[in-house]
Amino acid sequence: MHYVKQLLDQIGLGGDRVEMFFLSSSEGAHFAEICWEMTERIRRLGPNPLGGHCATLPTDTEGGRSE
Amino acid sequence: MIVAEQKSLEEIKKLLAPYEKVLIVGCGTCVTVCFAGGEKEVSILASALRMATGLEGKPKQILEATVQRQCEYEYNEAVADKLKEVDVVLSLACGIGVQTMNEQFKQIATLPGLNTTFLGQPTEQGVWAERCQACGDCVLATTGGICPIARCSKSLLNGPCGGSQNGKCEINPEVTCAWNEIYDRMKALGRLQEMLEVTPSKDWRTSRDGGPRKIIREDLRLTK
Repeated sequence: MHYVKQLLDQIGLGGDRVEMFFLSSSEGAHFAEICWEMTERIRRLGPNPLGGHCATLPTDTEGGRSE
Repeated sequence: MIVAEQKSLEEIKKLLAPYEKVLIVGCGTCVTVCFAGGEKEVSILASALRMATGLEGKPKQILEATVQRQCEYEYNEAVADKLKEVDVVLSLACGIGVQTMNEQFKQIATLPGLNTTFLGQPTEQGVWAERCQACGDCVLATTGGICPIARCSKSLLNGPCGGSQNGKCEINPEVTCAWNEIYDRMKALGRLQEMLEVTPSKDWRTSRDGGPRKIIREDLRLTK
C-alpha cells in the first residue's frame, strides 16, 4: 500500500486517493464509516485530474512478454 | 543474481523528455526475481508514465515488451520489429542488457531505467545483500564460504580490523563484520587453525584493476 501511494504521488494523482482498511464482514457500521470517510476525502481532493483522458491515452495493445 | 533498483519516475521522465514513442523492455532473468525490471514492473512503469505524461498534457505512447534475457542477442531479436514503431527504448534490464541492446540495435538509443547495484542474494523477502564482487580469483575456500572481498567494508584478507565491535562493522552498527562471521564459521567447521596463516596480498589484476575483463573459451567458439 505504501508503494502504491508513493507511486500515485510520483505520478501526480495523489497517494491519498487510495487506502486499505481491514474489517470483517460483520462490521457493517464500520464499513459505512469508511465509505463516508473516503467519499469526503475524494470530494476534498477533487475529481481525477486525468478525467476521462486516461481511457484515451495511447497504449500498447500487445504488451506482454516477447519470447 | 544481479540486483538492481528502478530509477525514480522523475529521473525516467527527464530521460524520456525528448521522445514521444517509447518501448519499455524488461528482462525475464535477474531483474525479474529482484522485482526491478520484469514483466510486472514494465507494466506498472508503462501505466505510470502514461498517466504522468498525460497529466502534464504531453501523453507519450508507451509500448511494452519483456525478453527472457536481455544480455543475449538471440532473445532481443523478439523486439526488433517493435523498434521500428518507437523513438527510443527504455531498458529495465541491468547495465549489461542496456549495453547489449545498444550494441545490437545501433539505429536506436536504449536508455537505462534501472540502477544496477550489486551481485547479491535475497536474504529474506524484500531484502537483498551483496555477496560477490566478481574479483576473478575466488577466496571462499579459505574463508569458510563467506566473502571478505564483498562483505568486509575494507575487503581485508587478514581481518578483522580494529573497527570490528561486538560482531558489527564500524561503518554502521547494522552491518555485520564479515571477519567476525568468518571466525565463527571457521570455528564451527573446526578449522580455526587455518586462520593463523597469513594470506598474501591479492593480485587485483583479475578484478577491475586489470581493466575490462573477457573470457574466451576456444572449445565453445564456432569456427568460421
